[in-house]
Amino acid sequence: MAQSGKGRLNYRCPSCFLRDLDIDMFYDEEKKEYHCIRCQFVGSEEKVLQWNELVRQRYGYLHKRFTMDELEDFTV
Amino acid sequence: MDQFVLNIIHRPEMVPEYAEKVTGQGKAEDIGRESLLTESLDIFKTQQAIAHKNGLKTTIQMTYASLFNDEAVELAKADHARYGDEIALTLLGLPCEQFREKYKTKDFCIWMFSMEDKKAIVQDVFETFYQRFGFYPESTGSYYMDAPLINYIKETYPTVKCAVATCWEEGPKAYHTCNNSWYTFMDGGPWAPWIPSKQNTHAPAANEAEDSGIVAIPHLSRDLIACYDGNGSNFGTHPQNVLRGMIYDSQTWEYHYLYNLIDQYRYQEKFNNGYAYNMQFVGPGWMNKMGRWEAPYELLKKSYEDGCAYYGQLKKEGKLVDMTMSEFADYYRQKKHYTEPECALWRDILYGSKKQLFWYCDPYMRACVNMDQGGAIVDLRPYVAKLDWPVGIGTPHVQDASYPFLIQEKYRAGYFTHYAGEGTVRSAKVCHNGEEVDLCLCRTKAHFSRRGGDRILTLDPVDIVFSDLTVKLQTVITFPEGASTIRMDRNILEMSDPAADVTINEYMVGCYGTTEYTEDMSGLTLAVEAGEKSTVIPYEYKCREASASGAERVLCKVPPIETLVSLTCQGREKEGYVKEGYAFGPMFTLGYIGKLREKEVFTTWLNLEKAD
Repeated sequence: MAQSGKGRLNYRCPSCFLRDLDIDMFYDEEKKEYHCIRCQFVGSEEKVLQWNELVRQRYGYLHKRFTMDELEDFTV
Repeated sequence: MDQFVLNIIHRPEMVPEYAEKVTGQGKAEDIGRESLLTESLDIFKTQQAIAHKNGLKTTIQMTYASLFNDEAVELAKADHARYGDEIALTLLGLPCEQFREKYKTKDFCIWMFSMEDKKAIVQDVFETFYQRFGFYPESTGSYYMDAPLINYIKETYPTVKCAVATCWEEGPKAYHTCNNSWYTFMDGGPWAPWIPSKQNTHAPAANEAEDSGIVAIPHLSRDLIACYDGNGSNFGTHPQNVLRGMIYDSQTWEYHYLYNLIDQYRYQEKFNNGYAYNMQFVGPGWMNKMGRWEAPYELLKKSYEDGCAYYGQLKKEGKLVDMTMSEFADYYRQKKHYTEPECALWRDILYGSKKQLFWYCDPYMRACVNMDQGGAIVDLRPYVAKLDWPVGIGTPHVQDASYPFLIQEKYRAGYFTHYAGEGTVRSAKVCHNGEEVDLCLCRTKAHFSRRGGDRILTLDPVDIVFSDLTVKLQTVITFPEGASTIRMDRNILEMSDPAADVTINEYMVGCYGTTEYTEDMSGLTLAVEAGEKSTVIPYEYKCREASASGAERVLCKVPPIETLVSLTCQGREKEGYVKEGYAFGPMFTLGYIGKLREKEVFTTWLNLEKAD
C-alpha cells in the first residue's frame, strides 16, 4: 500500500474540529478515503462534508445578520 | 464626532507561513523555490488591488525577505505614490535564505530571540529597509513585541510611533488548537489599541514617564466572546479566519458573521467616547492558490473582496475612516488620555446564546464581567504591577509572553468545579435559613453608563428564590477611572417578606498563572486586617481560615506577580475572611459576609496594588 498524500482540498478532521483541534487529514488514493492521524476518524469526501455541517450546527447565528439596533436587544 | 477607524495592513511575505508546508507537501523544504516567491508576490498584489478598488489605503509592512526583492520594493513605492499607502516594516516574515544563512536558525518570532539577537536582527532589518527606501519606517510590528524590544526599537529608531504588538487571547487555546505545536503564548493583553508601558507591553502606560513612545495595535480585531472561549484564529476581522472556523454557508458562501463582527466593533464607539477601531491584516499564505484547508482559492479571494467591499461601503457612507498606522498613532494620541479606559460591551453574535460580557482595560487592570453569571468577574489581570517580564531565549520566559491572571475561569475553573476543589471567580452568594444561591447562576444583562470618570455597569435585577422568600437584587459595578479598583453594589430592591434579613457573602477565589496548570502558591500571604484582631496566614496548603468582624481589609499578597489584591467593604454587620486553600484546591479566597434588608445596599471594592 502506497503512502497517503493530500487530497483535492486540504480537509481537516471534522471530529477533531468539534473539539477545537485543527488537524490536516491525509488521503489514501487507493481506498479513496481521508484519515486523521490523531483520532479514529476515517471517511470519504462525502462523509467529511457531512461532518463539516455538524461543525456548523454550533453556530446558531450562522444565518443571522444583526442590525446595529439589535446588539443590545436580547429579544431577537 | 463618532469615528470608526480602520487599519488595513498587507505584507509581501516571500515565504508565507503555511504556504511552504501546504504547497510543498511531499517535497523537501525549499524556501527559495521560485514558484513560492512568485505566488507570494502575486497574492500581495491582489490584496493591494482589492483594497484600492474599494477606496481604502493600506499600510505596506515590508518583510525582511521582501527587501531583497526589487519588484516588491518598487510595488511599495508605486502604491505609496499613487494611493498614499504607508511603507512600513514588519518583523514578521523573517524566514528567507538570507536570514537562515546569517542567523543559522529556524526561529522566526522576534520576541523569542535572545536580546542580543533581537538587537542584531532589528538593526539588520531596519538598516536594510533604509538602504532600499532612504528613510526609516514609522510603523513596525510582529504578533508580539516584548517591552525590552519595543524600548530598544524606540531608542534606536525614534521615527517608529506605531506597532502591531499583540494578538488578543492567542495563548494556550491556540496552542491546543494547533495540536500543541504553535508556540504563541500572549494571552492577557488589550483587544484594542493602547500605549504600552515601558515595563510591560500588555500593560498600558499610566503616565508620560511610563510611555514607551509608541501606539500599539492588536493583530486583528477579535470576537470578545468567541476568542475568549475558543480558538482565536477562527473569530477575527480576517476573512479567511472566518473561513477557518467554517462560519459560512457551504452552499451559498455567505458569511454574515464577518459583517456582524465588524459592526459589533463599530458599536463600541458608544462606550469609548465616540471612537471604535478595526484592524485587518491578512498574510499572503491565507490566499494560497492551492486553497486553504477545505476552502478553495475562489472562496478565499471572494472573502477578502467582500470584506474590503464592506469596509469600502462604510467609508462611502461616511461611517468609517481609513488610516495608515502612523496616521492612526497621531489620531490616537490626540483622542485618548493615559488613564482613559477601553470598554467593550459585547454580545454573542455567533452561537445563538444571547450571552453578554463586558471588558474593561486601563493601566491598572484588565477585567471581564460575565452577565451570564450574574455579573461575576471571570478574568482579571493586575496590570498595576507592570511586571518586568522579558521574553525570549535567555530569559525565564522563552515563549510565554502572557500577562498573568488572578482570575481566569476557563483555565482555573470558575463557578463550576468537578465536585471538589475551587474555581477562580469574583461573585457573591445570598443565604437565607440554610439555603444559598450564588449569583453565578442568575443570568442577566447589563447597561453601560458614564458619570464623570466612572464607567458604570447596571445589571438588570435578578430574582433569588428561596423556599419561603423571594429577593429582587440588583448589581451595579463601577470602574472609577485611575483608581485601580472595582466597586460592586448589591441593592435589595424588594423582598416578598419586607421584614426579612438575608446574608450576603461577597467573595473572590483567586490564584496566579498564565496557563491551565497550577503554580507554586507557597510564597503567598493572606491577611485579615482588623486592628488587634488582625491575622496573617502564610500559604502552606493547610486549608486554614481566618475572619474578623468589622475587618478593615482582607488581602492576599502574590509575590510571583508582584501584586497585592484586597477587598474592602461597607455594609451592615460586615465580617471579613480569608481562606488558604489546599493541594486539590490550590486557590485563595477573600471575602466579606454581611446582612441585607429590603432597600439596603452592600458595597465591596476589589483593589489592586503593586506589591513591594
